[in-house]
Amino acid sequence: MIKVRDNEPDYALLRKEESKEVNQYGKLIETVPEHNRLRKQDFVINDEAQPEENPDRYKQHGFYFNADNCIGCHACEAACSEKNDNPAHLAFRSVGFVEGGTYPNYQRLNISMACNHCDDPVCLKGCPTRAYTKFAEYGAVLQDPDICFGCGYCTWVCPYNAPQLDPVKGEVSKCNMCVDRLEVGLKPACVSACLGNALDFGVIESVPENRTQVKTEIPGFPRTDITHPNIRFQQTRTTQRDMVRVDNTAVKYHKDDSTGKFQPELDPKHGYQRDWNWKKLLGSHENAHVAFTLSLQTVMGAFFMLTLGAWVELSPLTSFIQSSAYLPLLLVMLVLTSVGLFKLNMHLGKPHRFYRGFYNLKMSPVSREIAGVTAFFTGLMGYSFFALFDNGFATFIQTLFATLGLAGLALGGYFMYKLYRIPARPYWDHWQTGASFVATGLTLGGLLIALLAMSFGAMNTGLATLLAAVVGLGVIVEGAGLLAHARDLQPAESEGAASFYEQTTTYGKSYWLRNGLLVVALCLALSIAFLNFNSTFGFLLLSLLLLVTGIIGRTLFYVLVIPTTMPGAFFWKNKGFVDHAREVGLADMQQLGVAYERHHKFKLGALLKTIYGTSLKEKIAQAKRVLTG
Amino acid sequence: MLFGRSKKNPIKIADKKIKEWKYAACGYCSTGCSIEVGFNQEGKPVASRGVADADVNRGKLCLKGIFEHELFDSAGRGTVPLIRDQWHQDWQSTHWDTALDKVHDEIKRIQNQYGRDSFAVISTGQMLTEEFYTLGKLTRGLIGTNNYDGNTTLCMASAVSGYKRSFGSDGPPGCYEDFSHTDCLIAWGSNLPEQHPIIYWRMKEAQEKRNFPLIVIDPRVTMLAQNAHMHLAITPGTDIVLQNAMMYVILDEGLEDKAYIDANTNGLEALRAEVANYNPVTAQKICGIDEDTIRNVARLFARAPAAMQIWTMGINQSTHGSDGVVGINNLALLTGNIGKAGGTSLSITGQCNAMGTREWSSCSGLPNHRLLENPQDREDIAKFWNVDPEFFPKKRGMFQTDIYAAIETGEIKGIWLIATNPMSSLPNTARIRKAMEKLEFCAVQDCYQDSESAQYAHVYLPAGTWAEKDGVMTNTERRISRVKPIMPPPAEAKADLWIFNRMAERFNTEGKVNFPEKAGDIFLEMGVLSEGRLSDNSGMTHELIETCRGIQWPYTKQQLKAGEHPKKGGVRLYTETASFRYSDGKAKLIPLPFIDNNEVPDDKFPFWLNTGRLIEHWHGRTKTGKIGNNNKYSPIPFIEINPDAAKELGIQRGDYVRLVSRRADAVVMATPTQRVAKNMVFLPFHFHDCANRLTLGLLDPHSRQPAYKQNAIRIERIEDQAAAAKLSMEMRKF
Repeated sequence: MIKVRDNEPDYALLRKEESKEVNQYGKLIETVPEHNRLRKQDFVINDEAQPEENPDRYKQHGFYFNADNCIGCHACEAACSEKNDNPAHLAFRSVGFVEGGTYPNYQRLNISMACNHCDDPVCLKGCPTRAYTKFAEYGAVLQDPDICFGCGYCTWVCPYNAPQLDPVKGEVSKCNMCVDRLEVGLKPACVSACLGNALDFGVIESVPENRTQVKTEIPGFPRTDITHPNIRFQQTRTTQRDMVRVDNTAVKYHKDDSTGKFQPELDPKHGYQRDWNWKKLLGSHENAHVAFTLSLQTVMGAFFMLTLGAWVELSPLTSFIQSSAYLPLLLVMLVLTSVGLFKLNMHLGKPHRFYRGFYNLKMSPVSREIAGVTAFFTGLMGYSFFALFDNGFATFIQTLFATLGLAGLALGGYFMYKLYRIPARPYWDHWQTGASFVATGLTLGGLLIALLAMSFGAMNTGLATLLAAVVGLGVIVEGAGLLAHARDLQPAESEGAASFYEQTTTYGKSYWLRNGLLVVALCLALSIAFLNFNSTFGFLLLSLLLLVTGIIGRTLFYVLVIPTTMPGAFFWKNKGFVDHAREVGLADMQQLGVAYERHHKFKLGALLKTIYGTSLKEKIAQAKRVLTG
Repeated sequence: MLFGRSKKNPIKIADKKIKEWKYAACGYCSTGCSIEVGFNQEGKPVASRGVADADVNRGKLCLKGIFEHELFDSAGRGTVPLIRDQWHQDWQSTHWDTALDKVHDEIKRIQNQYGRDSFAVISTGQMLTEEFYTLGKLTRGLIGTNNYDGNTTLCMASAVSGYKRSFGSDGPPGCYEDFSHTDCLIAWGSNLPEQHPIIYWRMKEAQEKRNFPLIVIDPRVTMLAQNAHMHLAITPGTDIVLQNAMMYVILDEGLEDKAYIDANTNGLEALRAEVANYNPVTAQKICGIDEDTIRNVARLFARAPAAMQIWTMGINQSTHGSDGVVGINNLALLTGNIGKAGGTSLSITGQCNAMGTREWSSCSGLPNHRLLENPQDREDIAKFWNVDPEFFPKKRGMFQTDIYAAIETGEIKGIWLIATNPMSSLPNTARIRKAMEKLEFCAVQDCYQDSESAQYAHVYLPAGTWAEKDGVMTNTERRISRVKPIMPPPAEAKADLWIFNRMAERFNTEGKVNFPEKAGDIFLEMGVLSEGRLSDNSGMTHELIETCRGIQWPYTKQQLKAGEHPKKGGVRLYTETASFRYSDGKAKLIPLPFIDNNEVPDDKFPFWLNTGRLIEHWHGRTKTGKIGNNNKYSPIPFIEINPDAAKELGIQRGDYVRLVSRRADAVVMATPTQRVAKNMVFLPFHFHDCANRLTLGLLDPHSRQPAYKQNAIRIERIEDQAAAAKLSMEMRKF
């Protein structure tokens, strides 16, 4: 337990004052009413129940940041990392800055930011493992790295870059509000360390001494409507009209005179030169997601066509099912799904904790996706297995599995799309994401069937026409999505505009190659479907084209996303410098504060230990909580 | 537990399980913060925190102090003495006796062969005061070379020189408490938030209570400049012109404090005659600050009931450094702003114990601001140390910067470098490198074995660092604080004091001179020598200093006997009328003609090169370059370049660029920002083989301090960025 020194300076002590009842978003500041059962449970920190000494324990607390005063001295960050024993590459609190004006009328605005312990914590809702809890105590949003399996989804959804995915340990950790200090009446370590008199902390909406504002926004601070963050600001000095990020993100914040607020806008930092950037595109850490989504959607597309085709008795498909290509196709589908799932799982920071993916069925789209995909895979396996038998009973069971597979496909497919509809990631938060996923199913799924049909001599004109039409439809869906995406993103007042800018510059050549190939693919597919174009050569070429466009498109999807997040500094918290340091080897120096991305082992021992070390009762309780939360 | 969760997840927060906190004053800058290092059960230092009842920092620490406990086992520490015949051979481990004998024998050999002064000793501002005093006794009393100086010549010499010229003695007259009383603060070339964050915090605290005007004079828009009420973006190297123009306004408009001037100063008429040449109308053309602003600031300053000036390297590191300090003092004296609450001229010092070396190292003279030029001082010290007064030179010898020129010319053949790294810190390193190669013998005594200067050494002596040692340090406001040996030096490394005492044994064969072994005893010996002098610390002991969390000098034996407890803060010098250190008690008003001898931008080298400090780094990065949680904020060298200039040169954010001066070149990363003018770049000096490859470092005629901040360069775009990245990385061992 933290000990308060006899001579603890006043600035380190929590204020004792009357607080408001309702916050600026209309929510009660008291987290739970007086006699709520939650007040009766022990508040346990490091296995030690805390005596309830802080009278404000059940009120939402938050940081207060006076942007007029921050000098960017990093004392808050240092104090935080010292207290939490964080290595150089990890930080729960960071200072970034934006700047504007012309010498000497220049202005730099430093922003120190940690977790905002939001009213609506998207991290908590998004986390599939239920590693997050929003405590009634202080309204603190705390995360347990021992539960986390390192998928990093919370780092995707948080608009403030609060959860930190440690590439070394393969787990997330974050600001804990220094609840241990709060319990004894001390302000968090960062606040106590502040040398600019900029940071403060208290019951939300309370105004520190000598401060006049309790704003919810300042230039450079991400939008607040997503999560209702518990941070308040003072920023009285007139800022420049444009405040520019100094990290490599092509974003600036432009003042809207009508509201006085700042909106993110494109800042074309590196000109308009078009490049390929294959290395970055294909070397992304998110390649596991590329492999997973492409393979799963391909298989889902094929499965959908097979099952539905059989049910509505589309003759080209029913005859395909009778052909010798049918079983090999199912085998390929099983292999593809396994590979996709394997890649996805092994990309986790703690792959041996895979089973925790279901834990947050109640809230997390990731859990639901995993549940859906699992159902789909089960359906596919059963469907494939019973395809080996030719009797009425087997067909009946196969139909049951097909139904399960389709249900899993619907659920998993929907949440696979839904989980990317993240407000903090404008590049993804568009219906094009769904269009692209559907299009992948139609194009690659159709082509998979075509390739197998051709390999086993089961191709015929009817099937070729049908599949080519489906593929063509897929390309149209993809193209329509892309057009709408470009139309909406380019002028967007969000980081989406910067994503679009990177798409057309840094990856400009790759982007246009993909677009061009899509047009060629569409012509080819329509030619096969309606002009009886040589189908063998046609399908081979089409497969090649759409595989290439699929891979380029999907890698672009992951590499281009620019989150709505905190501005960084020039070296620290600058993705551009991090990439550079990894590329040239500067990151080999540990004290540089840049760690390499790495893969993590599947620790069978740890898994077995959990299985044997957890009592049956606890296992049952755990299973129950999957549904109850 | 909200959002319908039925189970409370356990809360796990890092617990370093600290068993004990141990006290030491911080070993980075001169602010003088009190630190407690937390030790766990295994006796490992795992945490640092500010001492709550220490008046200086009141519980706060900057990011360097917060991670200071990581210094003890940082990379590159020296663990055994090393020896070799030629600097280009491999090191051999050796025993202390062998290493010390070798140093002793080589000093003797060189002195016998080339004369006593052909061996130079270069010290530092990093050690503890008792160590400085002991080294001074050894060097002045036994080795007997007059070429003995410290790296403080690179940072504080101009302040020392300016104080001496104005007031008759070194010694900053003010204190941090002055922020709480001042009605106007001018910061000359000082960027407190970055360089002295805790002093900034003290200033900010005072300013939040009484919003006094803050005027910042700096060519760059630093955080302090941005937060100032008025920012005067001056043309580099022209501070004296601005000072003279302000004095012109003050004298012209009769704003001076006539009674104070009469009672406390000499030289008004000569000063009046000189400043008459600096009508703001003409001065504005030179210093780049418009006439109205000059008048406005001069009036504000002169009319303030109490006005305070602080300065740092923006003034000191200039060819007019000493003059700039005198100019600040002139302004203070004209307006009666010395020795009163909120009215002072306070040099914000650099190194943790720069003040200690100024007071006690004997580099520029003899202990406690005594002068070699004064026969009585020589007599007194010789008697006290039991050496022959004739053994002392009658005039101080060379400054560090001149010693290197003397190595070039062959005048100096051997050198003992102590806790300093001239290969990184002296200007024009190409020249320094050649000089180092020429040395017949070089001993390096440092806590880091990877200090770049060690590559030219014949003997390396591994020393302790910071709180591995015992003694005191003096901070900017003349506060003596305690450093305690809370950790042993690693392996065979030894405290500097131990090394000096062992070396002294070898020179002190007759045993005539007494070298106490314990720092506490040495401090008492120093106390005796300080009695009745300006920096009288005869009332202090190690124990009392620690209890008080530092005591400002003077604190005398008489005060102690009278039962007067040391004040928590707020001790000032020259508070009485005519109490300056010239014989008549009056300070001098000194005329300052401006001679423009800087290297200024021209067609071939069109950019000003302005060098300076970053908050996360300390000096040559031997310390902070290895602590990730400091280093990560600026791990490689960079320039701030104006975006308009960058655009014209075709340079993009994050590109490596080549900087070329008349001396050499350097490869750095470009960060475009409007913080600097279009014809200027800012380059942090911390990185080895970088800024000082470019600097010219013309010397101040009084202080011999180099002008690090006024140089001209050109900037070249680099086509092959991959090769530049590789080169930049190769030059970064840490």
